[in-house]
Amino acid sequence: MKFILNYIRKETWSPYVAGVLLGLVGIFSVWLSDSLLGASGAFENLAGLIGQAVAPAAFDNVYFNFIMPPGITSGVILVIGIFFGGMIGAATSKTLKWGKKDAANSDTQWKRTFGPQVWKRWALAFVGAIILEYAAGIAGGCTSGLAISGGMLLAPAAFLFIAGMFASGIVTAMLIYRRRY
Amino acid sequence: MTGSIIALFLGVFFGFSLNKAGLTKYNKIVNVFRFTDMAVLQFMMTALVVSMSGLYILRGFGLITFPNVPATYIVGNLVGGLIFGIGMALTGY
Repeated sequence: MKFILNYIRKETWSPYVAGVLLGLVGIFSVWLSDSLLGASGAFENLAGLIGQAVAPAAFDNVYFNFIMPPGITSGVILVIGIFFGGMIGAATSKTLKWGKKDAANSDTQWKRTFGPQVWKRWALAFVGAIILEYAAGIAGGCTSGLAISGGMLLAPAAFLFIAGMFASGIVTAMLIYRRRY
Repeated sequence: MTGSIIALFLGVFFGFSLNKAGLTKYNKIVNVFRFTDMAVLQFMMTALVVSMSGLYILRGFGLITFPNVPATYIVGNLVGGLIFGIGMALTGY
């Protein structure tokens, strides 16, 4: 018992142990709620909800009417859970930097690559998130919704997505890091 | 209502495992593309193997039916994945 508690307090688990936990979550997701895990869809559901309230005409199209119906879906609740789960994880290993000076940009590798400015990190995160969400919309899912949930049902779409993700990810990392790659 | 509670708990464990595997950190995500830290792949593939075998065993016993499998659009999935990788390497999502 003490061993388990001590392991929970560790900051980084062996990825294999954490992977087994995620695998069990995936099984229970299908077993208990007959749905797949997915994060990116929730943002589209929320965006649709806001969009229909602000500009109903612009959001009255096939995508938001049929493919991604707006509303507080179980995916939205899942994302809220992911947020708090991540916070619990950080709290158990005492790495939760709530309001501390370095909290917004504490990654040393990021600082070495792009510089220490916080606004740069926020700007890049914003632009990157737009790219991510747009791509997830095209592919029909993100890392969790398509690559992991689709992969565990052996969907060909998931493996095509993983292949594409790694191909362009490697090229982008090469371009960013150049000689330090 | 129960569905929402289940979703919340699944999300908490999902986020917890992501945090403990270190996937909430920029350097973990980008280093997998530089081949210096394979934690992301180890994590993803372990999760895949566990849930894949678990789900197929449960279906074999007739305990569950599979939900709709994500649809295959070869061009869509590939192009989406290609754009996704750019964002992933940039932000460390």
